[in-house]
Amino acid sequence: MEQHSETFLDNASAALKNSAQAERRDVIAAFAPLIRSAAIEGFDEFDNLRKHIKRVRQHSLDHLEYYLGQFEYQAVQNGNHVHFARNSDELNSTVLDICQQHDAKRIAKGKSMVTEETGLNAFLQSAGLEVMETDLGEYIIQQAGETPSHIVAPALHKSADEIRELFQSKHDLGPRELPETVDLVSEARDILREHFLQAEVGIIGANALIAENGYSMLVTNEGNGDLCANLPRVLIVCTTIDRVLPLAQDATAMLRLLVRSATGQAQTCYTSFYSGPRRESDLDGPIETHFVLLDNKRSDILASDYREMLECIRCGACLNHCPIYSSVGGHAYGWVYPGPMGSILTPLLTSLEQSSALPNACTSCGRCAEVCPADIPLPDMLRDLRHEENSQKLSAGRWRLGLKVHAWLARHPKLYHALTGLAISTLHLFGHKRGSFVRLPMAGGWTSQRDFPAPQGKTFMQQHQARLKRIARQQNEH
Amino acid sequence: MSTSARSEIFARLRDINHQASAERIELDRQALGSAPVPKPPASEICEAFLVNVLKNKGSADCVSNRAEAVAAIGHYIYSHFRSHRLVAGNDPRLAAMPWRDAGVLPRFGRLEVGEPVALSFAQLGVVETGAVMTWTGKSNPAANNLLPEHHIVLVDTTDLVPDMEHAWGRIKQEIDQNGPPRGINFIAGPSSTADIEGQLVYGAHGPRKWHVILMGKVPAEALSRARTIAGV
Ligand code: SF4
Repeated sequence: MEQHSETFLDNASAALKNSAQAERRDVIAAFAPLIRSAAIEGFDEFDNLRKHIKRVRQHSLDHLEYYLGQFEYQAVQNGNHVHFARNSDELNSTVLDICQQHDAKRIAKGKSMVTEETGLNAFLQSAGLEVMETDLGEYIIQQAGETPSHIVAPALHKSADEIRELFQSKHDLGPRELPETVDLVSEARDILREHFLQAEVGIIGANALIAENGYSMLVTNEGNGDLCANLPRVLIVCTTIDRVLPLAQDATAMLRLLVRSATGQAQTCYTSFYSGPRRESDLDGPIETHFVLLDNKRSDILASDYREMLECIRCGACLNHCPIYSSVGGHAYGWVYPGPMGSILTPLLTSLEQSSALPNACTSCGRCAEVCPADIPLPDMLRDLRHEENSQKLSAGRWRLGLKVHAWLARHPKLYHALTGLAISTLHLFGHKRGSFVRLPMAGGWTSQRDFPAPQGKTFMQQHQARLKRIARQQNEH
Repeated sequence: MSTSARSEIFARLRDINHQASAERIELDRQALGSAPVPKPPASEICEAFLVNVLKNKGSADCVSNRAEAVAAIGHYIYSHFRSHRLVAGNDPRLAAMPWRDAGVLPRFGRLEVGEPVALSFAQLGVVETGAVMTWTGKSNPAANNLLPEHHIVLVDTTDLVPDMEHAWGRIKQEIDQNGPPRGINFIAGPSSTADIEGQLVYGAHGPRKWHVILMGKVPAEALSRARTIAGV
């Protein structure tokens, strides 16, 4: 997928100006954390589960070569073709080859962030194939020619009215007006059902690969992924090498975290495991099945200090709890993965040069790490990336200069206290009557969204020193 | 396939990974033990299962034997479709049911486009999640789970398992005896989506309604107590 992360700041400013979308983001930001906490409430062992899965994920990554080999062996035993791809181009051309071998014209596709990453749709379309996204959210944005704004709910940035207009312009509706949300869903269901029945190839992602038995796990609420996996005569599962887990029970234990964190449910409507092609006793199912397992820098990440990022289970909780994501939305990040996880993955999967603004899109509030079911220290990783940017001189010159000045001052505490004392008393002088500033020089961006509270007299250190003196005086008097 | 991609990826992983014998790795995994399981919403197993089915937005019915099951199924399809027809997989357990007594006309096989109701006999019901599980095969074509408007699922109380770990125990027996089923489907509710403005709508792609009939020794008040707990 084409990347626009370089212009994050401009993208973000534009997003903030779209007030209708900003309002919708506010509603989601208020709502999503509530359903997550409701789902976790009463599950006393959630934290222990988180720790258990963390250990299992670390163990799997420590022995990825072993488990990937075991998965491959089992999957081949089950009748699959297993392919490996070092990069996006290799994945895309492997998939196209399979489609062409079967003379396929129509592809039904389930939701897969990995194939967003490789730009598979555009690649297949340029070879003349008709590719239809079948997850409702993905279908909507595909029709609109847009990209996902959220890894779990890709079309949440669009209003029902916008979707209605989209269907009116793209579908042959006749006199139908699709007044309600349920009518919009039914409309998409009818169009997609037709496509499912005609598609020759189904492409899906996988939430996990199970080494011990060679099954892949697919989790959805709509059931579209299952239709892709069961109706067309060829099935291709595209995922990355780091998704392997040792045991079947590891995959379903991980689900306890994933589903609660992603949608606030205890279980999605469909949790499916697929082993391979149709058996003799089967009345349906694909006659040929393939796995395409992509590296695309996962092995680099595994060898780096950022390896914990591979433990991400793509739940989206860090997006839903991030003040930056909630303010600017997913498109501002300019690539496939937005929010805190995206601000780390994008530089690692593309380059830090191309995405140097992203690690700075962080207030260090720590909410993402608090809710991350994979227990990934996201704010620490973002800080490390900022460090790297600084040492590689990728951040803006004035930022680096500012940091240098600040670091120098921090090493000269007397001067530091004197200067902050001066700044605070000046602000106090001008602002204490009103209690806050509506505008501040050099901080227009900050005050455009909120007032800056006026300091009430002295700095913390000044007050602390005064208190120490007072205590010493009282002790002397006694 | 590019064999060089495969060998390059594996060589890279070999460089990065800790080297250990297969036995050592398997022992290390065993030492990690198994995961904590959420507490069931009721202590009685049927009741707990029913609570979770209802929370998953399924409807539920309890019967004590096959004759009652056939009557309940007949009643369900007649009240929703004014019809006596349904499609069911070639499951010997279903073929042996007294259909004629309730006037139900089942067709055994794979659901064809346009047929509105399918019946499956679940291999398992999972108390932890309120899901029913079927695996694909003659008894259960995948289309029967995915394409009908209403999906009715019969679950025998003796097939209830407390959690997913126990479910895998049963699946492993099947894999050992008959080889791995092509698909294993846990179903926990009618097909749903919240992709438009976060509003929950049923019947996104698959069934709009999901009806579970629990058959066997179900305590008398289990369903009504489950309704109270689930708040429906
Ligand atoms: S980083 Fe954590 S919270 Fe964010 S998507 Fe991944 S697992 Fe979920």
